Amino acid sequence: MLRSLQASQGPASALLSGRFPALPLLTAPMRGRKSRTDPPAKSKAGRIKVPPPVDPAELLVVRERYRQYGRLMKAIRSVFKQELMQQRYDETFGELGRQRQEAIVKEHQQLMAWNDAENQRLQQRREERLRKEKAEEEQQQLLRAQKEAALLEEFLKEKEGEVLQLQEEAKNFITPDNLDQRIEECLNNPRNYNFAIDKDGRIAKRSVLS
Amino acid sequence: MPMKGRFPIRRTLQYLSQGDVIFKDAVKVMTVNYNTSGALGEGARKFVFFNIPQIQYKNPWLQIVMFKNMTPSPFVKFYLDTGEQVLVDVEEKTNKEIVQHIKKILGKSEETLQKETKEKMKLRHPATFGPRKYHLRECMCEIKGQIPCPGEIPLPKEMRGKYKAAMKENTVSEANSV
Repeated sequence: MLRSLQASQGPASALLSGRFPALPLLTAPMRGRKSRTDPPAKSKAGRIKVPPPVDPAELLVVRERYRQYGRLMKAIRSVFKQELMQQRYDETFGELGRQRQEAIVKEHQQLMAWNDAENQRLQQRREERLRKEKAEEEQQQLLRAQKEAALLEEFLKEKEGEVLQLQEEAKNFITPDNLDQRIEECLNNPRNYNFAIDKDGRIAKRSVLS
Repeated sequence: MPMKGRFPIRRTLQYLSQGDVIFKDAVKVMTVNYNTSGALGEGARKFVFFNIPQIQYKNPWLQIVMFKNMTPSPFVKFYLDTGEQVLVDVEEKTNKEIVQHIKKILGKSEETLQKETKEKMKLRHPATFGPRKYHLRECMCEIKGQIPCPGEIPLPKEMRGKYKAAMKENTVSEANSV
């Protein structure tokens, strides 16, 4: 229908369309020569535009009816609005609303209690872990102390041995007292170091003729 | 340079929208204390690295503050608008466990979320016309199969008010004359 309407233009379309079958339109409404901004013609100078005539009785009746209608609509609107406001108020402050809020608060408290329990559990695990770590640390420290003590003992023993050895050697030292005596001894016992020695440290008593 | 950082997937919208923790309206601030080393705080580190962006994306009005190496053990603390502070110990937990725990104690439940989406849908009636902010369409001319906008393509004369009025006047005057 749209395409057919668009195709046919002008007054002829009135005859063809079928919606306005009766009469041809001699002049279609058009703006004409003048645009909006052009002033009206001189012939229209004294033209008084008269509004359409009004029947006063009908007007009164119609006005009264419109007033009643307005009052009715306002009343209906205010009734609905009041209902809505009441509903909204009940949701927050009414019984159901308060129950809902209490339930929410209770649930929150429950969740917080559960969270606290969780925290407690973790806290206990942490304490356990720390205790174990402390015990291990103490044991380690003990072992270290023992090792240290052992080392110290060894060291002391070594040093003591050295001291004793030195003391023993000191008996053979040449002092100013027995200097003369020792010189006499040496001169009286000449020692011959003119001997051969093999790799094992044995002195060669006799040489082998190969 | 399209990819930035060590795990650029964290910056994708798809990854961010997969976060499922939406906090209750009462939660205003979230504080995370974690350590950069230590085997027990590995879950907390992963939580901060992978899950905090998702949480922030889903809760844009939540303030999240993070502290490094301030305490020996990691924890998360929430500050509610009632003044209550909720402490969550996260020392020996994996990041998934942390997310589950947080969701349980302070997240909005499924029913609440569904109710909220329903209420949002109520405000948007798909059959109404009006400004784009509140409606789907502004005018019938936008719909396929309907008459195009008379602003673009002028209506045929038979549909225009002034033509119809002129025709009506014509018929009245002719009827009167006859």
